[in-house]
Parts: sequence; structure tokens; C-alpha cells
Amino acid sequence: MTGAAIASAIVGWLIIIGVLAFCFSKSGNHGEWED
Amino acid sequence: MAEAVRDRWSNKATFIFAAIGSAIGLGNVWRFPYLVQEYGGGAFLIPYLVCVVLFGIPWLMMEFGMGRYFQKGAPGVFEGIGKKWEWLGWWPATVAFLIVGYYAVILAWSLRFVISSVTMEWGTGRAGAEAANGFFYDTILQLSSGLGDFGSIMWLTVVCLLLVWAVMFFSIYRGAEASGKWHILFVILPWILLVAVTVRGMTLPGAMEGLNSYLSPDFSQLTNPDVWFGAASQVAFSLSVGMAGMFAYGSWVAKKADITNSTVIASFGDLGTAFLSGFAVFSVVGFLVQGLNIPMSDVSTNSLGLAFVTYPAAVSMMPGGNAIVGILFFLSLFTIGVDSAFFLAHGGVIAPLTDKFGWSVKKTTFWVCVVGFLTSLLYCTQAGLYWLDIVDRSVSFYGLIITGLLATLVIGWKFGADKLRLHLNSTSDIKVGPWWNWLLKLVVPLGLLFCVIYGGFVQDLAYLWDSSKTEYGGYGLGSLWIWGILLITLLISIGLSLLKSRKKGDK
Repeated sequence: MTGAAIASAIVGWLIIIGVLAFCFSKSGNHGEWED
Repeated sequence: MAEAVRDRWSNKATFIFAAIGSAIGLGNVWRFPYLVQEYGGGAFLIPYLVCVVLFGIPWLMMEFGMGRYFQKGAPGVFEGIGKKWEWLGWWPATVAFLIVGYYAVILAWSLRFVISSVTMEWGTGRAGAEAANGFFYDTILQLSSGLGDFGSIMWLTVVCLLLVWAVMFFSIYRGAEASGKWHILFVILPWILLVAVTVRGMTLPGAMEGLNSYLSPDFSQLTNPDVWFGAASQVAFSLSVGMAGMFAYGSWVAKKADITNSTVIASFGDLGTAFLSGFAVFSVVGFLVQGLNIPMSDVSTNSLGLAFVTYPAAVSMMPGGNAIVGILFFLSLFTIGVDSAFFLAHGGVIAPLTDKFGWSVKKTTFWVCVVGFLTSLLYCTQAGLYWLDIVDRSVSFYGLIITGLLATLVIGWKFGADKLRLHLNSTSDIKVGPWWNWLLKLVVPLGLLFCVIYGGFVQDLAYLWDSSKTEYGGYGLGSLWIWGILLITLLISIGLSLLKSRKKGDK
């Protein structure tokens, strides 16, 4: 793979994993499931 | 009379898996990777992310939020805004019913290919690769000469179709809470299968050239409007918005649950799956073009051609374990798609019917599955692929985008974007500011208007003033069905909204 393609793959995964990690780190009221 | 207790997802994880499962569909495998490769490689992620954040996430938040606010599926939500708007909830529900009709057939073809993969029915080696095209079009579909030439029914496909609808019935008929384990299964299983297929693909010769083609960035593409249309339309199709179901999914969320956070998780879970699929697809495409010594432009890298011709051809060329890779790939295709089919049937069709008429979920699921199965038979004829193409353009493109455009306008301006924003913020860790109102009131509708004009009318009606162009897909007068079907769905929706509703327990 070329360096540019590898960089695209890394940046893509970092963004996806970073956003998901941020959302999962927000504990807040996630546990509440009662009306 | 006391209000009946509404069905609920059993916990937050179930809701997130259901939302991700509905978003992840066949388009993640056969459209997103193609768009990335065609429109700038890694650079395509920029317009895609812009569209997800400014367009897809606000739209999905709107559907979840309105469903929870009114505790109803799409028609109930619009009835809540005003009785005269109820038809606007039935229109995407009708669209969802037509989509699941042909979506189930594509899943049936996937199962048919699982069976064929066991014996590598289309052959192995170079001969198999060259026979893959004929196997799909001449053996599986036995494609006829045109729309009106129905020929006979493909009975093995019908058996697979029956299995698809049976899986849907048994997963849905006990309601949202009981369906949770199926949603979890049909998100995790395709992830495992996709990883297995990706690992196999990346160990093949030529895989790296395929991935170069997939990911090498070309930033000059960012000024091309086709790229922005591709990104916006992919976000709209992939997040399963505009198909009524997300209103119902939102209505089954607990009243204190965080919708904003779950929406972002679902959107990026969907993107992650699509991005991973690109590795599975283009590693194998790279292997195929190297093995056959042909340019990549000679093989189909999107839609049915990718799934049912290019991939089987590549499987034929593999040095070993052909049958296993074929079975894994087509099983992953089936499991990726089946959760979207649950969503279309359950959230899009069954929930609106049970909400309005007070029928039991079990009985409604049974009859929706029976009628859906009968509708699907059209696509099991020898003219099935032509009809699938026409109906797909009619409902999955125009239907989805036009109903979505009207829905965002009515909710953003009539119900009130700010009222919805405050409702969402009341239970969310991530608070959205008043700027969000303008995303819903202006950005999302303008994005949808751009899609329907640029990707729809400009292309399909070009033949009216440019004699060198043909009617949509070269279908001639048959392309008028696109508008006819859309009109029929609108009339059915108005009819359904005029029927008297009946609450559970009413005599």
C-alpha cells in the first residue's frame, strides 16, 4: 500500500474509533432505562 | 380507559444494536466502498463526515426524538402534530413496505449463493471466474427480455425467500423487547464474518493494489458536485432515515434515555462497518484484477454486480478454501441485510398498523409477512430484476428523499425544532445548542432538495431536452412506473390516514 493510502486508513479509523470512544465515555444517564 | 403500556427495548444496548443493525445494510458493502474508490479515495471521508454531522445525525435525532415524544410510530407522530399531517407518516411507511419487498429477495439471492457456494456451482479457477456473470443473470435470475416478459418463477429463490420472511416473522412477532437478542446477533455476527472475509482478502496477492485504489486520496474531487451528491445520498440511505421505522424505534426508547449519544454511536457504528467492508471488497477486487490481468474498470465494484458477479468470480480464483470464503461472504451479506429488513417491516410497517388499528403485534406481523412474501414474488420472476430496479428508484430514492424533505419541514417549522431540541437535551449528556434548529429547518431540507434535483430529476428527465439520453435505465415508457408507483404510495397513504383509528381494547 502507498503511504497516502495507509494514512487515509489510519485517519479514517482514528476518527471512527475516537468518536465512538468519546460517546461511550459519556456515562451520564446511560444506565437509566426506567420510565 | 387506561393507556396501554408501550413496548420497550429491554435496555440501552438493545436499542443501540437495533439502531446500528437497521443502519447497517447491503449499501454498506456494495455502495459506500464504491463511492470512496470512485470519488477521491480517503478524501471522500471529508464530504461523508460533513454530511453525517450536518445532515444525517440531525435527521436521525429528529426521528428518534419525535417517536419518543409522541410514543408512536411515524403516522402517530404526524397525527400528533395535526390530523391533516397523518398521511405524511403513512407515506414513508408505504415506502418501507415496498422496499422490504425487494430487499427480502436480495437476501434470498444471498442465501441462494450460500447454497451454490457449497459446491462452487459456477465453477473454480479462471473458468469459474468467467462463468460468474452468466451464473447470476442466466442461471439464478434467468433474466427475460424486458419489464413485461415475466417468464416463469425461480422456485429455488422462492424457497430461500420463504426462509427470509420466516426469519423475519419469528424475530419480530413478540415485539421490540423480545426482538432485542436478534438485533444483537445480527450486528455481531456480520462483524465477525466481515473480519474473517477481510483477513482472507488481505492475505491474497494483489490485495494491496486493491486497497490503494480504495483509499488513495484525491482531494481535487472535493469540488465535484457528484461527490457531494454521493455522500449526502449515501448518508440518507445508510442511516435508514425517511423509512418511517426510526420513529417507531424512538418510541420504544425509555423516557430517560440519552437519544443524542445513541444517535452518534449508531451513525459512526454504521460508518465503521462500511469502512471495514471496503477492505473486504477491494482486497478481493485487487486480487481478481491481478489474477485475470485486467484493469479495475473492467469489473463491477458496486451494487448487485459486485456482490453476485465480481465477488463470486474472485472466490473462484482463490488458491484454496473457495467454498468456505463464498459461504462466509454470502452469509455476511445475509446477516448484514436481515436486520435492515426487520427494521423496515417492524418499525416501518407493523408498528404504524398496530398503533393505528390496535391489532396485536403477532397477528399484524403474520399478515405483513404473508402479504410481503406475496409482493416479493414479483421479483422472483424472470423480469424481477427490471422491476426491482424501477421500484428501487421510485421508492428508495424518490420516496425516501421526498417524504424525508416534507417530514423535516413539517417537524422543523410546524412542530418546532426548538421544542424537539429541548426534549432531546432534557435527557442527553451532549447538549445541542440553538444552531441545531437551523440544521433541521434548513440544512437537512436543502440537502434533500439537492439530492432529489441533482441526482433525481436532472438525470431522469434529461431525455426530455437531450435526445442523446434515454429514459431512466433505458426502460422507455416503463420508466413512467417510477412516478406511477410513487403516486400509488401517496394515494394509499392518504387513504390510510382517513381510516378511523382504534385503540387497543376498543370494541
